[in-house]
Amino acid sequence: MAKYHTFTLFSDFEEAFGALADIRVHKIPGISIDDVTLQSPIEHPEIEEVLGDRPVHVQKFTFFGALFGVTFGFFFLAAAQASFLAQPQGGKPIIPLPSNFVLMYEMLIFFGVWTTVFAFIFLAGLVRKRGPIYSEQVNVDQIAVIIDVDEKNLDALKKLFTKHKALEIREEKLP
Amino acid sequence: MHVNEKDINEQIRWAQINADVLRSMENPRPAYWVAVAVCIAMVSCAVLAEIYQYNTGLGVTNLNNPHMWDMYIATFVFWIGMSHSGTLLSAILHIIHADWRKPIYRFAEAMTTFSLMTAGFFPMIHLGRIWNLYWVLPYVSDRGVWPNFRSPLAWDAFAISTYLSASAVFLFIGMIPDLAICRDNAKGWRKTLYTTLSLGWRGDDRQWRNFRKTYMLLACFLIPLAVSVHSIVSADFAMSIMPGWHVTTFPPYFVAGALYSGCAAIITLFVILRYFFRFEEYMTTAIMEKTCKLTFAIAMVWTYLNLIEFASTWYGHNIYDKEVLIYKATGPYAWIFWTMIFCGSVAPFALAIQKWRRHMPTMFVVSLLLNLGMYFERWMIVAPTLSMAYEPHQFYMMYGSIVQWAIVFGSFGWFGLLFLIFVKIFPSVSMYEVKEMVFHRRRHLDHETAVKFGRRARDAGTPATDTH
Amino acid sequence: MSFKNILENWSAFRKDAEAGGHHKYDHRWGMAINLDVCTGCNACSTACYAENNLAVVGKDRFEKGQAMHWMRIERYWDDADRQFPERGASFLPMMCQQCGAATCEPVCPVAATYHTPDGLNAQVYNRCIGSRYCSNNCPFRVRYFNFYSYYETWAEPLNQQLNPDISVRDKGVMEKCTFCVQRIRASNDKAKMENRAIADGEVQTACAQACPTGAIVFGDTMDPNSAVNKLWAKHEVKRGDYLSKKPKVNAEKRGYRIFEELNVDPSVMYLERVREEI
Repeated sequence: MAKYHTFTLFSDFEEAFGALADIRVHKIPGISIDDVTLQSPIEHPEIEEVLGDRPVHVQKFTFFGALFGVTFGFFFLAAAQASFLAQPQGGKPIIPLPSNFVLMYEMLIFFGVWTTVFAFIFLAGLVRKRGPIYSEQVNVDQIAVIIDVDEKNLDALKKLFTKHKALEIREEKLP
Repeated sequence: MHVNEKDINEQIRWAQINADVLRSMENPRPAYWVAVAVCIAMVSCAVLAEIYQYNTGLGVTNLNNPHMWDMYIATFVFWIGMSHSGTLLSAILHIIHADWRKPIYRFAEAMTTFSLMTAGFFPMIHLGRIWNLYWVLPYVSDRGVWPNFRSPLAWDAFAISTYLSASAVFLFIGMIPDLAICRDNAKGWRKTLYTTLSLGWRGDDRQWRNFRKTYMLLACFLIPLAVSVHSIVSADFAMSIMPGWHVTTFPPYFVAGALYSGCAAIITLFVILRYFFRFEEYMTTAIMEKTCKLTFAIAMVWTYLNLIEFASTWYGHNIYDKEVLIYKATGPYAWIFWTMIFCGSVAPFALAIQKWRRHMPTMFVVSLLLNLGMYFERWMIVAPTLSMAYEPHQFYMMYGSIVQWAIVFGSFGWFGLLFLIFVKIFPSVSMYEVKEMVFHRRRHLDHETAVKFGRRARDAGTPATDTH
Repeated sequence: MSFKNILENWSAFRKDAEAGGHHKYDHRWGMAINLDVCTGCNACSTACYAENNLAVVGKDRFEKGQAMHWMRIERYWDDADRQFPERGASFLPMMCQQCGAATCEPVCPVAATYHTPDGLNAQVYNRCIGSRYCSNNCPFRVRYFNFYSYYETWAEPLNQQLNPDISVRDKGVMEKCTFCVQRIRASNDKAKMENRAIADGEVQTACAQACPTGAIVFGDTMDPNSAVNKLWAKHEVKRGDYLSKKPKVNAEKRGYRIFEELNVDPSVMYLERVREEI
């Protein structure tokens, strides 16, 4: 059976959330809330409430990045200082912990920040090929609901969206 | 006079927000090109001075045996300080959900990044052998030679590179949704640029979810980072044994000073952008008032830490420290000291007067005065200690030569140039966040909702006395 | 290799400065300067210029404070109101004090200044990038910076007398008194070749050699029989922070080290001038 990629624009956020609430309670057979992608112009926690619990994993990367930064920092500095034989300075230890703590702190943040950024680009699915339909209105003030549906459910879905005052419904047949 | 006005007009249309901000990025007016030309001329002065200094030696700066550091280091500390408010305030206000930051944080963060890029030049320019600069970096060399990790200057290299990359990334990540808006509206080379930079942003729920978490995590990293960076800069002085430098309160004092000069610079740029880009809808008087109140509070913290330093020096009765303190207040640099006290501790009281802080031209002048005071503060930290430390035979005073002045002057041109390029290529007001601000305020603060939940006392029957 | 280094050097970590830090000293070169016999004639400074290839900067730059006299005679006036003011001058020959816990060392970002096993505070010219932090952190202000390049324009006949044993420094480099390290190294090598210990008096710094009144005594403070060690002992001056632990038995002893309270452990002892009231 043919599959369709649908893209529906709403200007009223509440109506879009209403439509999604209907999908969540399985008003349309065969479509689950987990298949829905929502595109919106702003970041707001209401999305979370509508779509249910979708996990975020960035913070785990951050944690391990920071952990790596601080341990690598310690061993890197200690190894460099211990091997740098021309460095002796009167009255100062070879591996001075107080000043190394300062640098370990910086390296913790450095690696923490960069792992967070790369994890974000990877986990948010950026720099990747996206769906074929896109509306610039999403970046202005409208909200879009994107679902891949089987042909048999297409009409029911459209009807639901129309009931919730969808501005525009676009569909494309998937190969 | 009781003024109760809104930070932003909640009824503003979202398409209008996009249009206003995008308009600010196109069609530079002649004044823009004049400003660019002035900045390039300023930078040229610095380049010429640097070429002369490079070829002749550092003697042309008037530096001498007790005064090994002077305006270069003071200006370095000044620019580093300037960089603090943007990112630090943006991150703190983000974490505490103070949404009035949203219209003004973008240019403040850009200011952070650019003043760091300016500050970074000064430790290089002041080196005797600038061509060997890379020796400060910890790279693996087959001679087994490393930098000295005990030195605060080596910490500086770590701290500044971390801070520069982290704040640039914070600025960039926060800008991705806006770059997507620019991409949708751009043509030609701008289209290519924004398509690349927006990384394929479409505003999917998955993107927003990760975005929110990432932005929060970066904000959490940046607050301790910014504090540590200026503490490390203060360590350049506090880690030494010189009277007037070896001060325990220097790290908080520097951080407060940094926030102070950064806030003052935010006010300056706020007025400029509001005027030239006609951003009255976004950079409102109410937000200006909040910024001014914040600056005033920080100014008082700075004043307090200053007094603490004087008091502990005075009552600590260390003969060397006390001598330097008296020298600062009465010696040949006294006029700088008292200007600093006036601009840093007296002038901010203008921010406490509501009528004045609602008047943009006044605030523009006052913010410049505050930053003048803060520049003098940095110079008063660096130079007098060198004039008068321990060895009486080496007591000496001096002022920098025209070469130093030219390079310091040029650094302002460089900062201005970067900022001018930024405002025409990147949106200087965060569009998506202003929309969020409007959205949430309309949802939670509008009249109908307030009535529905009985939030305001006067809705319970008493008529509203307020004109708004 | 570096992991082994970490473990080995870790134990060296836990010694305080008085115990020599992590150093096993071969020698600890030191000086005693008797201010009572110093006449302020500047012969030491001149000898230093000749020995160490110091640049003569000229009058203008000297006035600007850009001179490079590793050894300088500091002149102070005791009491301007005395009957014969010209008799109130005192002189203090000041050079790098080769501190045991030198404040200049830890602040150098590239480790261009470090502590040698013979107790010297060495400056590696080739490594120096000219951040000048060392000079700022030196309480004695005895580090000199090459503000200009002099070696290209060394005055014509004077280039014939440059000392071939040491380098001529370029602009942008910090330099300072080395206790004539080239002489120390030469004597060390000679003694090693002849398979004997270095004898007291074998090494003379240029200033000590030139001093007409013999005010400067140079030697190894670790050698119990050296003249300098005997002077230190006689005047109850010791290495490290000895004063705070046990004050001098005889407070009349003239020996002192400058800025002793900063605990930088200088290697130069001065003997206070004794003067009668006029």
